[in-house]
Parts: sequence; structure tokens; C-alpha cells
Amino acid sequence: MSVISEVSKDGQKLTISIKGRFDFAKHQEFRESYEDKALSAVVVDLKDATYLDSSALGMLLLLRDHAGGDDSDIRVVNSSSDVRKILAISNFDKLFDIS
Amino acid sequence: MQSLAPLTILIAEDSAADRMLLSTIVRRQGHEVLTAANGAEAVDAFREQRPQLVLMDAMMPVMDGFEAARQIKLLAGETLVPIIFLTSLTESEALARCLEAGGDDFLAKPYNPVILAAKINAMDRLRRLQATVLQQRDLIAKHHDYLLNEQRVAKAVFDKVAHSGCLNAPNIRYLQSPYALFNGDLLLAAFTPAGDMHVLLGDFTGHGLPAAVGAMPLAEVFYGMTAKGYGLAETLREMNAKLKRILPVDMFCCATLLSLSFQRRSVEVWNGGMPDGYLHVIATGERKRLKARHLPLGVLSPQTFDDRTEVFPMAVGDRVFLLSDGVIDTCDSHEQLFGVDRLQQVFAANRQPDLLFEEIEQALRDFGGQARDDVSMVEVSLLEAAQLSPPALVYSDSGQSCPLDWSVSFEFRAATLKRFNPLPYLLQLLLEVHGLRAQSGALHSVLAELYSNALEHGVLGLDSSLKRDSSGFARYYLQRNERLEALQDGYVRVHLQVVPEGEGGRLIVRVEDSGIGFDVDRVLERPLDGIRLSGRGISLIRQLSRNASWSDDGRSARVEFLWEALA
Amino acid sequence: MADEHLDRNVLSALQEVMEQDYPELLDTFLRDSEERLLLLKKAGDAAQLVETAHSFKGSSSNMGAVRLAELCGDLERRAKQESPEVIGNLVEKIEAEFAIVRVLYGAEKQRSLAGLSSHSTF
Repeated sequence: MSVISEVSKDGQKLTISIKGRFDFAKHQEFRESYEDKALSAVVVDLKDATYLDSSALGMLLLLRDHAGGDDSDIRVVNSSSDVRKILAISNFDKLFDIS
Repeated sequence: MQSLAPLTILIAEDSAADRMLLSTIVRRQGHEVLTAANGAEAVDAFREQRPQLVLMDAMMPVMDGFEAARQIKLLAGETLVPIIFLTSLTESEALARCLEAGGDDFLAKPYNPVILAAKINAMDRLRRLQATVLQQRDLIAKHHDYLLNEQRVAKAVFDKVAHSGCLNAPNIRYLQSPYALFNGDLLLAAFTPAGDMHVLLGDFTGHGLPAAVGAMPLAEVFYGMTAKGYGLAETLREMNAKLKRILPVDMFCCATLLSLSFQRRSVEVWNGGMPDGYLHVIATGERKRLKARHLPLGVLSPQTFDDRTEVFPMAVGDRVFLLSDGVIDTCDSHEQLFGVDRLQQVFAANRQPDLLFEEIEQALRDFGGQARDDVSMVEVSLLEAAQLSPPALVYSDSGQSCPLDWSVSFEFRAATLKRFNPLPYLLQLLLEVHGLRAQSGALHSVLAELYSNALEHGVLGLDSSLKRDSSGFARYYLQRNERLEALQDGYVRVHLQVVPEGEGGRLIVRVEDSGIGFDVDRVLERPLDGIRLSGRGISLIRQLSRNASWSDDGRSARVEFLWEALA
Repeated sequence: MADEHLDRNVLSALQEVMEQDYPELLDTFLRDSEERLLLLKKAGDAAQLVETAHSFKGSSSNMGAVRLAELCGDLERRAKQESPEVIGNLVEKIEAEFAIVRVLYGAEKQRSLAGLSSHSTF
């Protein structure tokens, strides 16, 4: 499985880890990892993500929308420098906490 | 014995006994048998009866099995007709010959019926697979044709909606694939009524029709608002709101927007998610990076959308260069990206600005990259205002009746000044007067100057002398945004009066602001020179209108426009 | 002795496949083979010898005439390099073997006809 999700013990925080290319092929898996859960805090771990394209950005937007839009708390962690560059150009650090 | 749909099998074998034996074996397996005693007979039998499978003896008189196999394969064309060679050859070279001649398998003598049945089954599976592949290929080709046609239609509609605007103006150079639209790449350009130029280079997420479909509403907003004289900020707000409303959550449009003013010699920039643009200052050779400081269009709600732009001065000959990420993402055969560094190298090596496009295209070719449909580039130069001729405005009324004797006054206060640009409305009102239509360019320019003077220098108290160099420029516009954001009090009043005069008429415009005013006499003393970066555009106002005058310590400006009888 | 010349297993497999056509198959083989033998004795050049021997080898092996097939294989392999004398020798051996095989097939045919006719009364 290239999209692994884990819920914290108190059921409040969801961590989604992406392995390999974060692109349209992962669309369904990514959505399935959060859509049946009511969440407030989500962490997207990109430690093993090698690449990110515009459909991945779209997927993050869908996640954000599901988690409450402007009220959501989504953190994107462990981004490689390439991934960070892409997130920076698209200014997604204005919507997500990126580290 | 496995059950299998009966096939028609051709047995080509010169030995009568072997032929008889094989025929019986094959018939007992449920198939129909054709026989031939030599290669020539085999080819004829194939041509006439088109069996599905051939058992071919390798050594035969008249024409041997190898040649017969070659001819049969030729006759079969795309269809797979498996040929199983019958042989008692044991040398590997001879076996290789079988396969080389187009044989698909071989059966050794003495014949083993079980093995033969297995081979016939296996070959038949392959045969049916090939038939399926061809069928699906044809289906796919047909669907592909439908798709191409749909795209053609969509493109034709889009071209009518979006037209090419002023992309063919002498100061614009661009490169775009005709099917860029279906990769989400969009390039629009249009003149404002005042003679400024708006340019948009956009990149929608996705591919194909979904990417292209968002372009139409966006283009309509862009062209509609630009034609009405709206500024970049308002146009951006509308485009963002529209896309946010109509596109699914995960779709958005990265875009860079430019507003070039030939009169004011400046460019206003907004970049949401696109690669860096570059402002090439010819005098110094410097290329300023126009970085993406905003999220793409269609992501943020209208309440949170950030329409702040950056403004830079431009001299005649300076140019702004924008590109889509198709350039940077061009890959070579080793999956290496062309990248920003290589682009910078091309910039550094460039000696003649006019050749930049060719040099980039050459660099992409040399890089060995796969040609892509989403490589879009545009270069916009600042020329002398006189070198450009914006198209005349088209009016939709019949021109029979128009208001000739009226006046109106507006007062725009702080809250309104922050978010609202009244110019398009005022101008639309004035263009109801037919006599003014011929001067609409001048009208737009003068009113825009008067309003921005009143707002920026009057109400916001910005010092126009800041705009004397490019860092001052940046500071000026930063201050403008800050002070506008913080504005609590103040007003701009606009009075319009239209009166008939002889066969024609006269328009009197007065603009007042709540600012501290300025030393009118000193400014008016300056000769009517060319264009300067700083200054209140007073030269412009005086050149384009009649009887320009200032009173009330500079807080009140008054201009007139006259027109003769219409022909 | 018959087993040196004819492979019984092959024969019974052939009979099973051919059923009532078994005798005809045997006749066809014998007819074919006589023609081939003539060709071998008359053969003009080495290439033709090789071809005919090869073909004869093939049918013989199909029919279970193992020794005959072996001898034809021999001739096929050596026809290009041996002297006409040696070749003539090999052809004679084939002819001799075929003579035996013909008799054995004849018996086989009789046996099968009898067997078949007795079967058919059931």
C-alpha cells in the first residue's frame, strides 16, 4: 500500500503517509484514507514521497475541504526540498502548515 | 481431449502416410481438415479457404515449408494464422529456421497426438488474443477520433468566446501549441479603454476537456472586465470568485497577470502559483524575478482572496517574460528536467533580447527533450504609447438618442475607496454620450489619472516623488496597500456635468479629495515634457483634456472635454 | 524380433487413432516407401539423397519403424561426405530393412483386419 493511514489513540488525529510518487494514481487510496472519518487534525507525512504534482495539490485541497476548509488543521511534514519547492511556488504554505 | 471450438486446419505434408495420419488425428480432435502435398498447394489452399491454423511440413517439393510459410504469413496480414512446423529436424539451426520463417511452433516426428492437441489449443488461444487486440485497437482508434473531434469543436467554441484579443499587438511575442488549451495552458491579452494592456498566462490543473472547460468563463471575465476599464485587482477578484464557484474543489488555475501602462511606464504584476516571470531591464541587463506570491485562482474564497499586486517601473524597450511550467518540466530521455538553472543559463548567454525566444527553443531542442503541448511563452515589451493602436470600442446601441444635458455628483468614502473602483461605472455613464465616444481613450486615461491622484496623493497622502526609482516604486505601492488597508476617513468626490454647446457639447469633470493638497503653481511651471516616472501625471491630464485647472490648494481638479456635431 | 524393427507402442497408438482406417494407413505407408526407395536408388546428387532420406526417416518414425528410421537418418547425415560405394551400401541396408518391415506390416494388417471384423460382430 502506498498510502498508509493511522489514527491516533484518542481518535482525534489522522496521519496519512505517502510512499513514492504523489500523483493522480493515488487519488482513490488517498480519499479513502480519510473520507469515512470526521476529523479535526490531519498530518500528511511525505517522508517517503519522491514527487508531487498538481493533482496531488488538488488532493490536498480535497482533504482540507473535508477537514473543515478554513477551520481545518492540516500539517504537511517531512517534505523533501523538491517537494517544498513545488509547495512554495504554489503558495500552499498559506493554506497548510508545511515543514 | 480438450474441448475447443472447431477450427479449419490446413495440413501441408508431402508424405501421404504422414498426411493421412495427421489428418485423422486432427479430425478426431474435432476440427475440419484441408490437405496439401507441397508448399505451392498449401499457399493456394490458404488463399482460397483461409484456414485458422496451418500444420506445415518443413521439407516439401515444389515449394518448401519455409517459403510457403512466408507467403501465407504475408497473405494473412495483421491476422495471426499460427503455423506449426512438422519436422524431424534436430539441429538447432534448422529449428531456428522454422521460427525465422514465421513459424510459431514446431511438432517433432513421430507425431504425438496429445502434444499436438496441446499445441493446437495454445496456438488457438494466441490467435484469438490477437483477434481481440486488433478489434480493441480499432475500437480505440474510433473513440480516439471521436475525442479529437470533440476537442476540435470545443476549441472552435472557445476561440469564438475568447478570440485572440490583442495577442497580435506589435509589443507581444508568444509561443504556444495549438493544443495548449487541452493541457490547461491559457494565454489572453487585451487593451483597456485607457490604452493599457492586460495579459494573462494561465495553467489549469488537469488535462483534456476538464482543463479546457474552465478557460471559457475565465476568458469571458478577463475580456469583459478589461474592456470596461477595470483594474487588475477587481478582475482578479472576479476571476477567482468565478472559478471558486464553478470548479470542483481540487481544480484550480495557476496564473500570472500583467497590466502594462505605456503612459505611466509601469507594469503591475500578480503571480499565483506560476513559475517565476522575468522583468528584463535593458539598461542594466538585470532580470528581476516575478515570483509567485499568491495561491492559484479558484482556491480561496472571495473573503480570503489576496488581490495585492506588485508594481515595477519600465523603460521603453524593457520586457516582461512569462513561461508555463511545460518549459521547465521538459524531460530528456534520462528523465532529467530542463529546469530553471538551464533557463537561467540561456538568459545569461543572451546578447540580443529579440533573439531570446529562438535561443530558448534551441536550448530545449538541444536538451533533447520530448516536445510537449504545454510549452507556452510570452514576452511583452514596453513600447512608446504612440506605437500601439488599441482597437476602437464597439457600442451596442443604435446611436439615435443620448443624454445631452445632465449632471451628477458622487462621494466615495473610506470604506468604498478601499474595495471599489468607480471608474468603469463613471466611464460607462459618460459613454452614453455619443459625442464623447471618439475620445473614450483620452477620457479613460484622464479620469484614471485624476482619480488615482485624488486617492493616492490626496486621501492616502503618498509622496509621488517616491516613484523616481525602482526601489522607491516598490515602496510606494507597498505603502499604498498598507494605507488603503488602514483607511478610516477621507473621501473622493466626482462631479460630472454634460451640457449642449452649439451643435456639439461639453463635459466638465471635477474631482476633489480630502487630502492636504499640493503646490499647484510649482508643478504647473514644469514644461509639458515627455513622461516622467514621478509626478502626478499632470502632464498627461493637460495633454489629453481641455482647460485643466486646479484649485483649493490642489485638492480640486477640473478638466473639460468638448465635441463638435456628429457627422 | 519384431520389436527391433517395429515399436509396438507406436503401432497400438496408431491403431487407436486410425480405427478402421488403420489398414489403409499401413498400405499408404508401404506405397509411399516403395516410391522413396526407388528415388534413393536412382538419386542424382547428394542433396536429393539427403532430402529423400530425411523424408523417409520422418514417415518411418511416425509409423514406428524404428530401425528403418535410424538407417535413413544415417544416410541423411553421411550422404554428402561418403563415396558412392558407401552410399550404395547404406541404401542396400535400407532396402533390406524395408523388406522385413513390409512383411511385418503385412502381418499387422491381417491381424487388425481380423480383429476389426471380429469386433464388428458385437
